[in-house]
Amino acid sequence: MTVCWLESLTDDSLPLAGSKITRLAELARAGLTVPTGFVVTTHAFKTHLAGTGLAQALDAEIARIKDPHDIAVLTEHANHIQHLFDLHSLDSTLATAITEAYEELCDRRTALALPVAVRSSATGEDASDASFAGQFETYLGLTGAAQVIDGVRRCWASLFTPRALGYRRERGLSHHDSPMAVGVLELVNARASGVAFSIHPVTGKRDRIVVESSWGWGEAIVQGLVTPDHFEIDKSDGRVLRREINSKTVVSTFDYQHGRVVEAPMPARLRERASLDDEQLAAIVTAVKQIEDHYDYPVDVEWVLDQQRRAGEPITIVQARPETVQVTTAKATPQWDVLSAANKYVFNKK
Amino acid sequence: MSELVALDEFVTDEWYPGFKPGFEHAAWSIEPFRTFNREDESRFWFLDFHWPRGMTPLGLIWCEDGYTWGSQLAAETLPLPPGYGVACRIAGTHIYGNGIDVRSEYEVAQRGARMARNLPPILQRFPEIWAERVEELTSALHHFENLNIASRPLRELWQPLFEARRFFKRSFEIHFELMYPLLVNYIGFRGLCQELGIDPAEIGKYCQGYDNKILETDRELWKVTAEARRLGITDIFAANEPENILAALKRAGGPAQTWLGKFDEFLGVYGYRTEGACDVYLPSWLEDPIPPLGTIRTFLQKPHDFDFDHARAGAIDEREAAVEQARSQLSRAEVEAFNAGLESVRHANFAWWNDEHNFLIDLRSTLPLRRAALAIGEAAGAERNDDTCFLFWPELRGLCNGTRTWGSLRGIIKDRRDYYDYWYQRRPQMPKVLGTIPEHVNDPVLIEIFGLHHHFFEGIRNAGKQVDILVGVAASSGLVRGRARVLFTADELHRIEPGEILVCESTSPNWTPCFGKIAACVCDGGGTLAHASIVSREYRIPCVVGVGTATMMIKTGDTVEVDGGKGIVRVIRE
Repeated sequence: MTVCWLESLTDDSLPLAGSKITRLAELARAGLTVPTGFVVTTHAFKTHLAGTGLAQALDAEIARIKDPHDIAVLTEHANHIQHLFDLHSLDSTLATAITEAYEELCDRRTALALPVAVRSSATGEDASDASFAGQFETYLGLTGAAQVIDGVRRCWASLFTPRALGYRRERGLSHHDSPMAVGVLELVNARASGVAFSIHPVTGKRDRIVVESSWGWGEAIVQGLVTPDHFEIDKSDGRVLRREINSKTVVSTFDYQHGRVVEAPMPARLRERASLDDEQLAAIVTAVKQIEDHYDYPVDVEWVLDQQRRAGEPITIVQARPETVQVTTAKATPQWDVLSAANKYVFNKK
Repeated sequence: MSELVALDEFVTDEWYPGFKPGFEHAAWSIEPFRTFNREDESRFWFLDFHWPRGMTPLGLIWCEDGYTWGSQLAAETLPLPPGYGVACRIAGTHIYGNGIDVRSEYEVAQRGARMARNLPPILQRFPEIWAERVEELTSALHHFENLNIASRPLRELWQPLFEARRFFKRSFEIHFELMYPLLVNYIGFRGLCQELGIDPAEIGKYCQGYDNKILETDRELWKVTAEARRLGITDIFAANEPENILAALKRAGGPAQTWLGKFDEFLGVYGYRTEGACDVYLPSWLEDPIPPLGTIRTFLQKPHDFDFDHARAGAIDEREAAVEQARSQLSRAEVEAFNAGLESVRHANFAWWNDEHNFLIDLRSTLPLRRAALAIGEAAGAERNDDTCFLFWPELRGLCNGTRTWGSLRGIIKDRRDYYDYWYQRRPQMPKVLGTIPEHVNDPVLIEIFGLHHHFFEGIRNAGKQVDILVGVAASSGLVRGRARVLFTADELHRIEPGEILVCESTSPNWTPCFGKIAACVCDGGGTLAHASIVSREYRIPCVVGVGTATMMIKTGDTVEVDGGKGIVRVIRE
């Protein structure tokens, strides 16, 4: 099975669809709003590698890595591998399957050439390891079957970045055990986007939802190119505890000429303006709490506010994952007890 | 790396010319009060800003029965887990102190378990306990005031003196008995607030705006001032130096005489207070009304009376707004913790108690002792009424029981007055710290009250250099520029002119009237709980404390700019 629609995935789909897309499908089943789309499965990835002879070429290249700690060495090998991927186009069966699925997606959304997000969805150990966050590629706004197919191929290649090569070599892992799936999802028309955490990413406080937001798509935030607006909301009663409206100088915006999302200077009129109002913020909080309840675990989430969204409608979730880093530092909410306060703050005892 | 400030010059076993204490001079719990010895150089000592004048021989009873006995007893009774109370020394006549650490981990744990049993009920019952102590203190003072000791022979004066010392000692048992629990309560709450992410400059506001006896006194002083305006006797104040005002008013008669009646009524209620803390050498306002008269004189220089209602309403509004602001930024669970802590520090409120107890203890507990000592002087035929303040306890006992004659003490008293004056002059040059200076101090009590934080140590290290920007603790917010008035003691306090910026080692409760006229306050010592910090918040003027060496860097007449919200003082040099 080369291509699967999100609604056909199940909890057992991870080996086929990768963790990112499997989780997204799971959220859709749990009642959250996610983009329409399909996944180019790990089966397609394996077929491509086997059919083109890339599999052997990769094995040979990887076997030549002498020092997995030397980033220069790893980079050289990674560059070779990217070149190998560039040399091998998808065979017609694969290309046709993706083209047909993309066309069906356009039909479902009644668009001639629908801009899509092409997202890597890794399997295996890499997928859940936070140290790999952002390692695998995502392309926003690709338009037309040719761009989508090219995007899929580049996502596959991103399984072989220098860091990924080094990481697997160090641990004695093989990419054969963690093939790459690629999600092709309708690109939501983003009025604003951002991330949200159900645990404070710095202090570890679990009594609040933290939301970071900027105009346009979320790439500028995820890549750290913009200082987003920052909100903290009380989980129990929805009060906004902190509201920092920052000067947002860069925006991820859709480039119609080239058919993709690109970074550009933020229009002056939007820089200092709050990118979310209270109703929108509440919709994000509702979704994040629902996701945390679903996993029964703290989560971080990427969300998009659709330009067409009206007040009262849900927010769109484009990614969610268990928050693994901060949970170790999660703190109980302080209580007032004069003796423990005395020991801690007066007598410097922990 | 620790550095050393040599204390060679101060090492002596003589407390004053002609006096070395005998064994068991006074009771002590952990470590007696004494002069410096060589071993003290390995320990850290800071100049205690509460006593900028130095102490007379009789005044050193404070070091024995008050500071040493009171603090150590309270630290044993609560107990304080890691500290045995205060160790106290003198260099010349000047007091240095430091906390005494409990070094045994076992003992700290044992003391911690005892504190866990004792502290919560003390805080819960604080209003009742304090009411009992106030009753005890005020009825005792009443008792001593009603003792008829005038024109009694020397042999009958020992007992009143002895009893007055017992009262003095008991007063400071009460002082430290309540000071430690209230401090622990507040500093614990402060810690909680910081953990909740609250700006430290905000925390002091939560306990402000509660009326106390010192503010009440200041308010009444302004009322007496308004009365002088109403009676049209402002010119008499303006035309005379403080020490001549009383005579001038009496001479003037008429409305001035009417006013003096009002002033006597004021002194009858509020005059039982000295111009400094815990010092028997200082007369009360009743005995010597020059300080309040001088203060009224400068109050009259202001075009308008200080509006206490306005300041109080402002302090309350600011407090409530600060609390609301804090709550709005806390999650519901955090608000619960914050509210519980706030309830605790308001129920047993250090900031309120600080000046309340100063009025009832620090500024008046010496008065019975002084009255008895002066009576002994009078009976013995002393040349000056306070000569007996320059005698030690065994000498006074000898005088009373007839084993010493006044003639044998006259020369000693002269020498000791010279000695006192010599060290009084040296005060501005006294080292702020002595012995082995630590990189930093961890004890929050020393940090919050004495201000031994990093700004202070930096200031000390910069001493000698000309520095135009001084950094300290942001104690009360506001930005103001004005003329500096550098004072070392309260003796010149009534000369401060309206709008000046007070620069001093620290303030004591007797300084509060001047807060109604100064534009800002800057102190060498002190933390957020220092007297100047608390009072500045009540009077709503900018204040920076714990600067280290402001009194050395700034001269009277300099233009300075005080940013109380940031804790920065700029010296504007033309």
